[in-house]
Amino acid sequence: DEEFNELCFEFGLELDEITSEKDIISKEKGEEKAKGASDTVLYKIDVPANRYDLLCLEGLVRGLQVFKERINLPRYEKIIPAQGEGQRLIITEETVQVRPHAVAAVLRNITFTKERYDSFIDLQEKLHQNICRRRALVAIGTHDLDTISGPFTFTAKAPSEIKFKPLNQSQEYTASQIMDLYRTDSHLRHYLHLIENKPLYPVIYDSNGVVLSMPPIINGDHTKISVNTRNVFIECTGTDMTKAKIVLDIIVTMFSEYCEKPFSVEAAEVVYPNGKTHIYPELAYRKEKVKPELINKKVGISETPSSLAKLLTRMCLKSHVIGNGNNIEIEIPPTRADIIHACDIVEDAAIAYGYNNIQMTIPKTYTIANQLPLNKLTELLRLDLAAAGFTEALTFALCSQEDIADKLGMDISATKAVRIANPKTAEFQVARTTLLPGLLKTIAANRKMPLPLKLFEISDVVVKDPDTDVGARNHRHFCAVYYNKSPGFEIIHGLLDRVMQLLEVPPNEENGYTIKATEGSAFFPGRCAEIFAKGQSIGKLGVLHPDVITKFELTMPCSALEISIEPFV
Amino acid sequence: FTEMPTDNFVESSFWNFDALFQPQQHPARDQHDTFFLQDPAEAPELPAGYTAKVKKVHSQGGYGSQGYKYEWRLEEARRNLLRTHTTSASARVLYQLARQEKFSPVKYFSIDRVFRNESLDATHLAEFHQVEGVVADRGLTLGHLMGTLRQFFTKLGTGGTGGGDARGLGTPQGPPHPPLSPGITQLRFKPAYNPYTEPSMEVFSYHKGLKKWVEVGNSGVFRP
Repeated sequence: DEEFNELCFEFGLELDEITSEKDIISKEKGEEKAKGASDTVLYKIDVPANRYDLLCLEGLVRGLQVFKERINLPRYEKIIPAQGEGQRLIITEETVQVRPHAVAAVLRNITFTKERYDSFIDLQEKLHQNICRRRALVAIGTHDLDTISGPFTFTAKAPSEIKFKPLNQSQEYTASQIMDLYRTDSHLRHYLHLIENKPLYPVIYDSNGVVLSMPPIINGDHTKISVNTRNVFIECTGTDMTKAKIVLDIIVTMFSEYCEKPFSVEAAEVVYPNGKTHIYPELAYRKEKVKPELINKKVGISETPSSLAKLLTRMCLKSHVIGNGNNIEIEIPPTRADIIHACDIVEDAAIAYGYNNIQMTIPKTYTIANQLPLNKLTELLRLDLAAAGFTEALTFALCSQEDIADKLGMDISATKAVRIANPKTAEFQVARTTLLPGLLKTIAANRKMPLPLKLFEISDVVVKDPDTDVGARNHRHFCAVYYNKSPGFEIIHGLLDRVMQLLEVPPNEENGYTIKATEGSAFFPGRCAEIFAKGQSIGKLGVLHPDVITKFELTMPCSALEISIEPFV
Repeated sequence: FTEMPTDNFVESSFWNFDALFQPQQHPARDQHDTFFLQDPAEAPELPAGYTAKVKKVHSQGGYGSQGYKYEWRLEEARRNLLRTHTTSASARVLYQLARQEKFSPVKYFSIDRVFRNESLDATHLAEFHQVEGVVADRGLTLGHLMGTLRQFFTKLGTGGTGGGDARGLGTPQGPPHPPLSPGITQLRFKPAYNPYTEPSMEVFSYHKGLKKWVEVGNSGVFRP
């Protein structure tokens, strides 16, 4: 087990869990139900999101074996049948509106066993979830070729005109009935919306009018494959051509292993509405040239060109040295659609070399360090505020709409708050425009602590601002609250004076700060003042209104101060 | 390391995803991992010339890359969100660096809040802080990245809580981690995948208390 874990670590896979079917059932349903379940050890492996070739057991094992140099990477062959003998998929122009692209191929004389069959179905599901973006971009259909006869037609028809027996059903339904039938199906209902409201639904027929599938929803029962199927017709339809080609390549390369002639795939011809034809699968082998110095330089190693070629070959990128030893030619197989730049090749070379074998060095870059002035001011103030006897709090930046509006006696539209479109709970509806609710909620959660409670926070609030490039900006605010049996206005006022003293802002009107009595919806009437400095209003202080105190589930008087510190940076 | 300005929680998809080569059909952009904004819903301003370049690299490729070969949509890039990583700030800063007359090597860092649309539980919050580090210079290697990370973690693990990520030319991502024993020196690197870095590495450290290797960070070399 440890050996395998090590191997996964080196290769870049995560061995998530070592379990067994029995364990899984045990955890989910209890020990009783698990009796009789399989004890065979199961490995749960996490595969990186861009490696579609490692999504099934076949691909994973192949990749690891090449990595360990146990086998050579197989060469995937495309067999083009003689003129007129191959399968053809004809696309009609109706599909353009709903699902324009399609590719197809055939796996000839394949031998399935139960495991291989399960793996085949499983890979399709994984690809659907992953690169196909839950069938929106591409949908895969696999059919028993012996039950149907080509040429096949991919067209789109009105829902009432499509009628067939869906997979594992016992009777025929029209397409509209199928939509209703699967509306409650836990698996398929998520895909219905992809075509539901379109005037025409995509459908694939064979030459006798047998329905192969209605992508992306479901295949026909007639063509379903089983363990005994010998010839498979694969079709991928979708809205993204590049991905459809990749998906087809992956499926055929992975499972052609089990064909009578291993790793050979029979090509099919796709005929477009304009008459053009194209042979699929593409199974393109691409050649790229990379200089060995580039790899060595980027990774920080110094390997000979031939050893680099050997490393890349271990990663399924067959390479050899060309020229007079100063270049490496790499053949990128169709299974590695993730190689789109030389840096991808560099990464693979580094992985084969072993990340932990690379020598760690420090860059010789000389730079002069700087702290952001706003943060520097924040740090300095925090220390002194703590010295003044206040405790720092760190609160959430997201809160409910009531927190910044109703509970403070204001209307939400006056707050210029940034609103979230998809909150999971009501607690995260808006971004805070004031630090006060956060502090009050903190006090509410700490009612049992000895009085007085003196809290402060210096942190960002978010407001809408049409002058910024995104439409909103952060403001660095400082907020302090004093919670005790008596409101302590003088204490909060004293704190303001102390902060101004630290900021070297004198208490006069011309070049310093001043406070003027005002009214505030969150404050007790007659006990509220606005603070002016540097020619602008920077905040308010005062005794909080009893309504506010009650709404935050507090019982004692409370005074608060909140200012923006940005003018003082 | 100089501190980067990160005082914008609201970010456009452009800076948070597109400029970082994260494809528009990537699962992370889905509703469930990102907080999208209702108001303001779209970023009014995006850098025109740069946006065109980003569009080209996604759809056709460029700078040696084949690209993703899909249809890149401007409306998708305009969608506002609460940033999911501070790498968006790094992207902005690197953009400014690129527009300088003469290139000068830089080292940047930031420590600030990020937002992920997840259900809260014992190990996951919807808002948390990330430590981010970027180094840009000529001739940097993967070995340099590993060395810088090792220095960083050695200084970090002196009895404090671990959980920083460092990325040479990349960004760290660190959800809160259990406190690590003093002096994190046992580090191992594992190949990983990020849309914007290649090579990418996850950094693991041995936690004596849990008696196993835990992931303490993510890193990588930015794609050309």
